[in-house]
Amino acid sequence: MKKHIIIGPVLLILIWILVVYLHLVDAFFLPGPFTVLAKLGEALGRGIIIPDLIATLERVSVSFIVALALGLPLGLWLGYSEKIYDSIEFIIDFFRSTPATALFPLFLLIFGITDTSKIAVAAFSATLIIIFNTAHGVMHAKKSRLLAAQIMGATKLQIFRWILFWESLPQTFIGLRSAVSLSLVVIVVTEMFIGTSVGLGRRIIDAQITYEIPAMYAIILLTGIIGYLLNVFFILIEKRFLHWSGK
Amino acid sequence: MEVALSAKNLKKSFNNTEVLKDFSIEIEKGKITAIFGPNGSGKSTLLNILSGITKSNGGSFSIKDFDTFKSSYIFQNYRESLLPWRTNFENVAFPLQIQKQSKSEIKQKVEEIQKFFEFKFDWNKYPYELSGGQQQMLAFMRALITNPNILFIDEPFSALDYENNLLLREHLQKYYLAFKPTILLITHNIEEAVHLAEKIVIFSKKPTTVIETINNPLPYPRSIPLLKTEQFHHIKDQVLSVFQKAANL
Repeated sequence: MKKHIIIGPVLLILIWILVVYLHLVDAFFLPGPFTVLAKLGEALGRGIIIPDLIATLERVSVSFIVALALGLPLGLWLGYSEKIYDSIEFIIDFFRSTPATALFPLFLLIFGITDTSKIAVAAFSATLIIIFNTAHGVMHAKKSRLLAAQIMGATKLQIFRWILFWESLPQTFIGLRSAVSLSLVVIVVTEMFIGTSVGLGRRIIDAQITYEIPAMYAIILLTGIIGYLLNVFFILIEKRFLHWSGK
Repeated sequence: MEVALSAKNLKKSFNNTEVLKDFSIEIEKGKITAIFGPNGSGKSTLLNILSGITKSNGGSFSIKDFDTFKSSYIFQNYRESLLPWRTNFENVAFPLQIQKQSKSEIKQKVEEIQKFFEFKFDWNKYPYELSGGQQQMLAFMRALITNPNILFIDEPFSALDYENNLLLREHLQKYYLAFKPTILLITHNIEEAVHLAEKIVIFSKKPTTVIETINNPLPYPRSIPLLKTEQFHHIKDQVLSVFQKAANL
């Protein structure tokens, strides 16, 4: 753990305290950090927010797993067959650049007002990110190692399994990390608007509508913490399995 | 002489620059042949064509009793040819794994080669945990574990300090004397060439031709004290004189 890691959060809270203390923003719209933290502690402690937390995490996990199961093999395959990738690169780039939330109404038409449509739209956008990064990881594999294996008489399958797959992993992991973050974003946004009574997104919008401002901040903070922890989790996996990356 | 490798009228151009133009050469079996020449003289290009990395634009070559599994290549840059996600053991074992040899066979061969070189590695560590010299030694072992009958080596010592350079030359020589493969060694270091090779082929600038082939009769094993003898310097001077002509210096 880096020594200075604590400075950031402390600084953020100090600025927050200062803004509240100096009345730079109306206290009604920005309660102090301790009020918000107390609210968050209370919500978690009394368990009122736990079902929402679980619902959101479940949706994010399912959409991520679907994206992984589709995106990883497709990305590997497309990266390997560069000609096919070149011919469909536009499609991938186009949908990757389209805001996922703009597609949500379309998914609602297909899957109805269900959890499935939320998960599907998150999985869809996460899949594209995984495909894109994995394919690029394969395509930009160091040629020297490929050549070395070729000269040794490796078959295409062996080269794929023992060289390309590994070469692509660092880039693939960047994709996985972005994909899980995006899943969280899309899930929380879709929860805010349509057809659910549980989920952190739902809680945020409810708190906003009823002017329970400290509760709103508390849940926003919670989603931030989840996003951050997911990121840390992936970095830890990376450190464990990709210890060789860049060496 | 028994020819292990012969090339006839090879042609190769890159972006309209002719590197090889009707290039022909014969390499003797069971000997170390060093190729020495000015920068950009098509040394690596030739090696890449012969080892199958690049295709020529014309001409032909043949390697006697060629077998992919019995020919090896040692790269200049060990860092980019070793596989960092594999342990040292798995790196050396890699060519055997490609040849689908059994685990026990692989284990035995790795042990044999380690014993042969008397080189101690922590097999469970990774290449990036080794020094540069050790990494290149690992790359050597990986190339030699298949017991190749032909060995292509591209400036293998150039990224090493002098001490490791000498050490690896000794190891290569030891392997050569024990197994007598045909070795084609590219180098831009005269001392290396004269130290290791029995034949030193000097290339011209591109389009490449063979300017001269110098025989080096110094007896093997060629130890480090030999590098200080008059005979050694005599051959080195001979090579230098031809090189001077080749590079127009």
